[in-house]
Amino acid sequence: MTSYQFRTRIRAAIANANLQQALDANALRRVQGRVTAFASLPDWKERRQRAHAVRADVISRLDEYLERFIEKAIGNGIIVHRANDAAEAINIISKIVGATGQSPLPKLIAKSKSMVSEEINLNHALEAAGHRVIETDLGEYIVQLRGEKPAHIITPAVHLRRHQVGQLFHEKLGIPYTEDIPTLTNTARKVLREVFLTADVGVSGVNFGVAETGALCIVTNEGNGRMVTTLPPIHIALMGMERLVPTLDDLALMLSLLPRSATGQKLSVYTQLIHSPRRADETDGAHERHLIILDNGRSRLLNSPLQEALYCIRCGACLNACPVFRELGGHAYVGSDGSIAPYPGPIGSVVSPGLLGLEQFGHLAQASSLCGACKDACPVDIDLPRLLTRVRAGGSKQETVSSGVGLSFVSRFGLKVYGVIGKSATLFSAAQKLAGIGSRLISPFSAWMWIPSFTGWGFSKDFPRPAVRSFRERFSHRPQRTKDSATESTEISVKKKEERREPDVPEAPKVNLVERFTEELTALGGNVYRVPRDKLNDRLIEFLRERKVEAVLMWDSVEGVDEIHLTRAGIRAVRSADPSLRVGITGVASAIAETGTLVVPSGKGQMLSASLLPEIHIAVAQSSQIVPSLEEALRSDAVRGAASVALISGPSRTADIEMTLTIGVHGPEELHAFVTGEQL
Amino acid sequence: MAEHTIRVFDSRKGDVVLPSGSCAHMIRHNYEELFADDPLWLPRAKSLAARTYEFTEYLVDVLSITDPSTSSGRRFSPRWDGLLTYHPTCHLHRGLGIDRQPKTLLANIHGAQIIELPEAEDCCGFGGIFSVEHPELSAEMLKRKIRNLEKTQSPTLVVCDAGCLMHIQGGLKRNKMKQRVVHIAQILANQ
Repeated sequence: MTSYQFRTRIRAAIANANLQQALDANALRRVQGRVTAFASLPDWKERRQRAHAVRADVISRLDEYLERFIEKAIGNGIIVHRANDAAEAINIISKIVGATGQSPLPKLIAKSKSMVSEEINLNHALEAAGHRVIETDLGEYIVQLRGEKPAHIITPAVHLRRHQVGQLFHEKLGIPYTEDIPTLTNTARKVLREVFLTADVGVSGVNFGVAETGALCIVTNEGNGRMVTTLPPIHIALMGMERLVPTLDDLALMLSLLPRSATGQKLSVYTQLIHSPRRADETDGAHERHLIILDNGRSRLLNSPLQEALYCIRCGACLNACPVFRELGGHAYVGSDGSIAPYPGPIGSVVSPGLLGLEQFGHLAQASSLCGACKDACPVDIDLPRLLTRVRAGGSKQETVSSGVGLSFVSRFGLKVYGVIGKSATLFSAAQKLAGIGSRLISPFSAWMWIPSFTGWGFSKDFPRPAVRSFRERFSHRPQRTKDSATESTEISVKKKEERREPDVPEAPKVNLVERFTEELTALGGNVYRVPRDKLNDRLIEFLRERKVEAVLMWDSVEGVDEIHLTRAGIRAVRSADPSLRVGITGVASAIAETGTLVVPSGKGQMLSASLLPEIHIAVAQSSQIVPSLEEALRSDAVRGAASVALISGPSRTADIEMTLTIGVHGPEELHAFVTGEQL
Repeated sequence: MAEHTIRVFDSRKGDVVLPSGSCAHMIRHNYEELFADDPLWLPRAKSLAARTYEFTEYLVDVLSITDPSTSSGRRFSPRWDGLLTYHPTCHLHRGLGIDRQPKTLLANIHGAQIIELPEAEDCCGFGGIFSVEHPELSAEMLKRKIRNLEKTQSPTLVVCDAGCLMHIQGGLKRNKMKQRVVHIAQILANQ
């Protein structure tokens, strides 16, 4: 059962110095980033347990939650499809794509990241049908240009270094060779902007579905998720059937853990909540939204001992923490037929065999020392080492030697022999004696024996020479203790073990909300100006004049902004999304102090593109609109009632090339919040 | 084999103390899983788990020995001249949550200067059958552990697991390196 292909990929990955450097950098930076991010969440341990309980509840009553979610989503105007397997999903998507627009072929499909689409091999199917599919996440775009699969579920180009991306863009996009990451990012921005504006269909994944409201939550940093769900007339969302949370409060809980675990952020730059297609009184957003809910083995997983794998929220933290992934990267996790597993790393070594078959991917579970770093890193506390042993046991709880999924014949035979000997005291001591004497013949002078490479062990280490006199022998012939010392030792009182208590969670200090919001958003690269109400228009005009802006894409009405003032100053307010406009001005529904987030809903006269297409986004918020936490922001009617809501935390960013932070990918590269009101 | 182990210890009363975190972890956490669907063996497995301790845990939490030189009387008083560094083995610190105990014991060894091991919590690459089944991966992990040991300049690495000890020492020997890996009991017993 050992996959020859897997072994070959392992050797190749280890021998690839470039890959090793990239993966080392990833492991160190990502793990540190996660640890730092969790330091800002004093009750994270408790949250982690709550998140585990929420996911456990959802999975144990999945049918019920799905029914509620689907009913709500349909009520909101989303067209819901259920697909039992990859072929069904592809069939449904092909039909939707084929039926769009006037001309039959080919259609342009702009895609944001979706691991489910990788799982069903969607791009390949759509391209085979003659369509053009463009990945728009920078990392995904890079691997697509290279004709590769993503090497990580969060950072697809984790295996590459900047010179490789420079060479790739030089060859494929015709730009002069450069290793300058902002130049590379900007090149992709230009190419993909055109794709967003002309695409017939946008395809996205879904991070969470919210059962109580039917909302789809999509999290991105670059803004491509917003682009593909806002600009093309048709949006198709792909979701694994397990990705539900019961309520918006639960969503807030998950969102406090997901970005911290994935990228070390308190909140991703763009967290979208999509309830419905564009409403009659709105001027942008997709006209038609389809949701495809995929089973593809999940029901089977649900009724197996691997059920807990369905709790996963796909943050990628276990990949970053895993010492084996650090050596391999995602491309080495291959099936028996040599095809790359859609999900790599610790969770992938459970989910890939779980969804797609033990025969194909079962051996992946042997590529783990069961060190438990993955479990420690998991934000929903999935017991990954336990699940890995269950895969090894053939998807059952009881590991027997006869299962040993993915083990080589020699290892399995060795374990079988050991199992027989280990169960008999006589055989065991005879074997010990034999090993002790035998090894002395092989290695008479040294206590450590060189053993050959084919044994596995001998590949990199010597083996200790077994003792001739076993521990048991020596123990039974040990000098008898004196009476005194024997009584002395029994007198030591045996205490009950005390549970270690975690230190009490410190009370969150009371802070001024405006100050906290300013601090957080500034740390994310945004700018915050606190302006008295009567100075707001003057300050805005001053800002726009400094940048020689003559026209802005602006909401019909933004609280405190007087259009007459702008017109007098020679600044035109435009209402239709012209991509050439450099500045967009919006209001907010609320702003979140703890994460520096602007909550921007769609609505009548509230274009989504005003906070998305221009280079500069100006948001005007009232100090009274600032709320402490994400939970509170999500509870408001303005959020629940909108067709679509964008939670914006800073300017658009990416770190897809060598984890180097670059500002301004698809969304605005400048974010300015003007906070006005009584208390500043 | 688990049944055999339970049977052997059922014939004796008293606590079971194991010198390896991974063995204690197996009995404490995995036996329950192994016999989950077996109403006959499950109670026996649980009762063995309840009286099974890892060595340092037993010393510190059960016998309340934190300073080995004072609390254990005249039988031994450990001394160590020079540097020591400590590798928290995976099943011990992540699996059983035992970390404070060995560190407390080491901190109280007279004369010893404890140097922190970089990336200490990383697995050494042993992982039982993993080290034989995936020798290349195991070797890379071991190399990293040894590189980090070299950075400490400590000639001695302390562990609380016989498997990891054998693994790391085997790697050092293969590379003709002088560092020694010792079990914490060897330090306490002045060996």
